[in-house]
Formats: sequence, C-alpha cells, structure tokens
Amino acid sequence: MVAGSSAALSVRGLRKAFGAKVAVAGINLEIPHGCFFGLVGPNGAGKTTTLGMVTGLLRPDAGLVLIDGVEVWRDPVEAKRRIGVLPEDLRLFDRLTGAELLTYNGLLRGMPAAVVEARAGELLEVLGLADAAGTLVVDYSHGMRKKIALASALLHAPRVLFLDEPFEAIDPVSARTIRGLLERYTAGGATVIFSSHVMELVQRLCDRVGIMHLGQLIAEGPTEQVRAGRSLEDAFVELVGASHAGAEELGWLGTWSA
Amino acid sequence: MAGHLVSLKLALLRNGLRRSNWPQQVALALGALAGLPLAFGGFLLLALVPRAEPEAGLLLVEVVFLALFLGWGLFPLLSFAGDASLDPSRLALLPLRPRQLVAGLSLAACVGVAPLCTLVALGGAVVGFGTLGPGVVLVVAAVLVQFLLCIVGSRALLTALSRQLRSRKARDLVIVLVSVTALAFNLALQVGARLAERLERADLEALRPAARVLGWLPTGLAARALVDAGEGRLLPAMAELAGAALAVALLGWWWWRSLDRVLTTAEPAARQRSRQPAGLFPRSLRRLLPGDQRGAVAAKELRYLARHPRLRVAWMVSCLLGLALVVFVALTEGLQRPWVVLGSLAMAFLASQNSLNQFGFDGAAYWTHVAAGADPRGDLIGRNLASAVTGMVTTTALALVLAAVTGGWLYVPVALCLGLGVLALSLGVADVVSVRFAYPLPDDASNLWAVQGTGQGCLVGIVQMVAFAAQGVLLLPLVALVVVGLVWWTPALVLACPLAVVYGWFLWRVGLGVGTEWLTGHQPELLAALSVRRAA
Repeated sequence: MVAGSSAALSVRGLRKAFGAKVAVAGINLEIPHGCFFGLVGPNGAGKTTTLGMVTGLLRPDAGLVLIDGVEVWRDPVEAKRRIGVLPEDLRLFDRLTGAELLTYNGLLRGMPAAVVEARAGELLEVLGLADAAGTLVVDYSHGMRKKIALASALLHAPRVLFLDEPFEAIDPVSARTIRGLLERYTAGGATVIFSSHVMELVQRLCDRVGIMHLGQLIAEGPTEQVRAGRSLEDAFVELVGASHAGAEELGWLGTWSA
Repeated sequence: MAGHLVSLKLALLRNGLRRSNWPQQVALALGALAGLPLAFGGFLLLALVPRAEPEAGLLLVEVVFLALFLGWGLFPLLSFAGDASLDPSRLALLPLRPRQLVAGLSLAACVGVAPLCTLVALGGAVVGFGTLGPGVVLVVAAVLVQFLLCIVGSRALLTALSRQLRSRKARDLVIVLVSVTALAFNLALQVGARLAERLERADLEALRPAARVLGWLPTGLAARALVDAGEGRLLPAMAELAGAALAVALLGWWWWRSLDRVLTTAEPAARQRSRQPAGLFPRSLRRLLPGDQRGAVAAKELRYLARHPRLRVAWMVSCLLGLALVVFVALTEGLQRPWVVLGSLAMAFLASQNSLNQFGFDGAAYWTHVAAGADPRGDLIGRNLASAVTGMVTTTALALVLAAVTGGWLYVPVALCLGLGVLALSLGVADVVSVRFAYPLPDDASNLWAVQGTGQGCLVGIVQMVAFAAQGVLLLPLVALVVVGLVWWTPALVLACPLAVVYGWFLWRVGLGVGTEWLTGHQPELLAALSVRRAA
C-alpha cells in the first residue's frame, strides 16, 4: 500500500516491448476516483497493451501500476478484487449459457453463490439478456457478447472498471443501455476507464481523456482542457498528425460511370 | 468470368499452401499421397478387370460410378467449413447472374486435387472399354458425363444446404462425424475385406436384382452407356447416355435455382433455442461437487465435455475403444479369464490424458481466471475433479461390463482401487505438465487435429512423450505388484488396493503442489501461452 494515495489508477514509467517493437514506451498517468476516463489513439497506439498491463493480464517490462493504492504486480489478488475488465477480443467460455457464465465468474472470484445468483439475475434483466440467459454464449450476437462480458465485469461491484472498446460494433439501443449503466455507476463514486475510437462519444461521456500515439501518452487531462475549444476529433487529428495524401489521387470517386 | 473463378480457385490452392505452416503442408502432401493410390487404383480397376472378367464388368463399373458420385456428394459436405471456394454466399455481393456463376463455378470445381484424381480413375474406363471405331467417342462421352454428374451433383447439394452448413450446430456435428466416420470407415474396410474373401461366383448371381436397380440410376445409365459403347451396341448406348445427360441437366437446374435463392434472399435469423436455465452445476452432480471455485471449475469442465465438439470426439473415441475391448474379449473365448476386468484401467489412464493440456481448451478465454485473480490451487483441483469423475465413471462401467462377460466380479473392487490410484498419479503429472507446457487448441472446425502456432506440433509431441514416460515410470511399482498378484501370489492384489490409493494420492498432492506453486506467480505467462500471438 502507498500511504495517502487517492488515485483510482496510478501508473509510473510503464513499458512493454514485443521483440524489437516498443508497444508502450514509458507512460505516467494519474486518474482520480469517480472519474470517467477515455483513452483514445489510432490503431496500434498501444491502448490495448496498456490496459492489459494495468489490469494484470500482461506483465510489463518495467514500471509501477497502483490501483486504489495497491500494487498490481506485487499483490495481484488484492488489486484484482477492486477491478472489473472487459477486454477487446471477447474470448469467453462460450459453451456456457449466459447465466452459467455469470455464475462461473462469481464463483471464480470467491463470491457466495446466493449473492451471485441474485446479482446475475438483475444484470441480465437490466442488460436485456434475460430471454437469452439459457442460450449458449457461442450463439450470441456480437452485441450480446459485449453485454454478457460487461455483466461479468460488473458482477463483483468493482471500484475501477476497465473497458477496451466497449462501444465497438454495438447497435444504438445496446450502446445506450451500456452508456446509462456506466453513467449511473460513476455517479456512485466508481471509476470507469475505457478506450475508444469514437471521439464524439468520448467527448460527451468523459471528464478526462488521454491521447496515445506510438506507445506514448501525448496529451492527458480534463476533456475541456485537452480539446481547448475545438472538437475532440479535431484536437486528436491535430495531435496525432493525420496525413492528407490521397485526396487528389481519388478524384475519380465523384464521377459516375455507367 | 469463368476464367476469373478458375484463377480464384487456383489462387486459393496456392495461398493455402503458402500460408499454412509445415505440419499443414505435410498433411496436405499426405492427403495428395492418399489421393494418388485411390486415383491409380481406380484406374487399374476400371482398365483391367472388365477385360479379365467380362461378366462382372458392368456391375463393377456401376458400383464404382455410384461410389464416386456418393463420395463427391459427401466429402465436400464435411470439408465445407474449411474450403472457402465451396460457399456460394461469399460471391453474393458481386454483380453476377446465376448463369455466369454456374458456368464459372463448374469450371472452378474441375480444378483441384480431387477432380484430377477422379479424372485419372475414370481414364481407366476409357482404356478398359475403348475400342477402335465410332464407339470410342461414346465411351469418352460416357466418362465425361459421369464426371459432370459428380461435380454438378456435389455442387447442387452443397449450394442447397449451404445455409444449414454454416450454422454452428452443423459445424459441431461435422467435427464429430468426420472423426467417427474415419474410425467407422476403417472398421468397414476390415469387414468388407473379410466379406470379399467369401464372395463366390454364385453370390454374384444373387446380386443381379440389385445390379438391375443400380443400372437405372443416373450413374448406372452412364455405366451402361460405357459398357454398351465398348461392346459396339451404339444405339442403346446413345439412349442411355442421353438419360444420364438429362440427369446432369436436372441437377444443374436444381443448382441454378438454389444459387438464385442463396444469392438473392436474406439469410433467416438463426433460431436460438433457449434452454431452461439449470445453473452451472449439472443436476446429478450438484451434491458431489463443492459449491465454490473448485466446484465451479469442475462443473464448467464437465459442461464442456458435453458441449465442445473436440471433447465430445475425445470421449466418444475412448468409449469406442472400451467397446472394442469388450467385443474382442467376448469373441475370443481364450481371453475369457476373470482378470481381464483389470483391462478397465485403460479408461482411467485415457481419461487423464486430456489433462496433460487441461488449460488448452480454455485458450485465450483463460483471461477470465487471470482477471478474477482465481486461486490457482482451486483451479487445478477443479479440473482434476472433473477428470476424476469422468475417469471413474468410465472405469466402473467398463469393469462392470467386463465382469459380466467374464464372471470376474471379484476383480471389480481391485480395478476401482487401482483405477483411482492410476488416475490420481496421472493427474499429478498432468498438473505440472499442463501449466508449464500449455498450448492453445484452435477453435475452428476445419482441422480437428491441428495445433495452433508454427512448429508447435513437434514440441507438443515431445512434451507429451516425456509426460507419458514419466507416468509410465511412476506406474511401475503398481504394475509390478499386480503382476506378482496375478502370477505368483494372489494376496498381493489385495495389498495393491490400499497401496495404489495411498501412492496415487501422495503423488497427486506432490504434482498439485508443484503446479500450484508455479502457477501462483505465472498466471499471465500461462495466459500468454494460451493466446494466439497478436500484434500489440
């Protein structure tokens, strides 16, 4: 424990390389409690690697990660008790039904069976999966998989929730359900940290944002401050430096052929 | 258009070779090697037999033609998930008319190893029946019509069923069917060889009515046209050829209609059959399994055993082996000794072999355990519990059946105690091996025996051999005791019962301890071993 730490997540000098490719090149980050934090960046910026390392799924080469003051890589069990995770690739035990998967997750975390049962029922109801509770997860649609994974992440009422691309390939109705749930959740004092490509959504939801590029955090702070009067998308494109090549080459796109 | 589709097929074949790793290339080469003897065997059969045995000639050709047709219908159904060129809906977005597609896909279907082998085999018929004169044109035509029957029939069936074949249930079923079919085919070959030895000329006469029916099938018409043309009866040959060609046209029409339907109508939503939520724990085991993490893991493993196609195949093969043992014992009177009951120990050993890679079926989904901070010891105990339950159930069942066949009821308790010892000991070894040398099992249905990652097949083989050897060495004291009991001093068997249980228990605890200790600090490493390497 680090005395007096008030941050939900505190990261210092976090590094990871895969062979010669440096995925995350030394990140420092401090996220206060009750914050809705958005991590944005182009593909391959190192967002998923970062989230893997701070949630204890991927061992970093160097650096310190504290969740609620607990060192993730020194006391993983205690740290993991405080976090919920929704990874990007959604590999689940998909030969279980939705209800079975939630029970399994709860018992893995050592929760009492009765509590798991009650919470699982409520979560399935709120997320609109009650009818599919008895269907194998392998037969779920992409949106349903996202929702059942989110339910698994919320089951133990974690203080910090990590979501990797929670709104990717999700229909508007499901997205709204998830958004409402997350807003209610942070209002209760919990912290949500999520990565996304959808700038408009991040701008609307998040009090703080971090922009990653080539393994580094090139901007971080309150959303208003980072975007400085522009839209977040404009700020992002400016910071990351998008290429303008190709605008002239595709001139034929406007001309119709028979 | 047709040219494009043919070159697409060639590109798919080429890229399939280039993309795949060396075990897959070896498998492909072996597949081609298996095709060659079939092709040349068929060639020789059709080329030589009709000249040597004119009477059996027609029947033989009819049977071969029908077998080819059925093979063409059946085999692509089984490889549908693995062959991108078989699924017509992949072309649905291209602005093509069904007529263009039928022509293009027909030509594309003629490219590949299987069509080549078929053509070589059918070439034997041209050699076998070809005569000088106008008849040879009809002989070649009959062979080509037979070839078209195979290809168009296969494509028509495939297109008509393409939607059903894409469903998850069908893919699961195909995995089980392919594996069990391979075993059954082997068995059928054995039985067929025995029957063929007994077949006499008189039996050939008895087969005449069946041959008459075969003769009126489209493939039979092609066969009769071939034989008639070869013997110079040109008019009947022409009529029969017309009949077979009409069948090709009808099949083509069916194909066209199916293509039209598949390409222009929306896919119906998959029907989801919702089960009554019964809870994670199977009802029959609710009392037996602890209600905590250990029980949850065990229950999940048992659910997977029933629901995952690969695991289903594994236990079905085990059961078939057990059944084979029973049949063998029942048929061989010399083996009806009471001690044969101890053969049921094989089931205990087999059940533990899946545990050597007991995390492999989790694959990347193992992140759930890592993220939950699941207790490694409870995790391993849960998996061992599931293996122990299946191992003991199958061992007990086989021991009881063998006892009923041989009357060796006294050996049943001995088999159960020894079975428990063997299982515990093997699981102890597996608990160490499975955490240190885990590898993911591919999820796709295309290749049941594939191992993910390049060059892993070899390492996996070595690790399994070493684990197998370790289990064998650890089993030696028990084996020695049993041999002493069976050959020299029967009370040794009684002694072996408690000893096996205690010895197995001790080794299991040691293995569990070592496995737990490593896993406690290395869950992320195990997850990395189980996940397919991705770009960061």
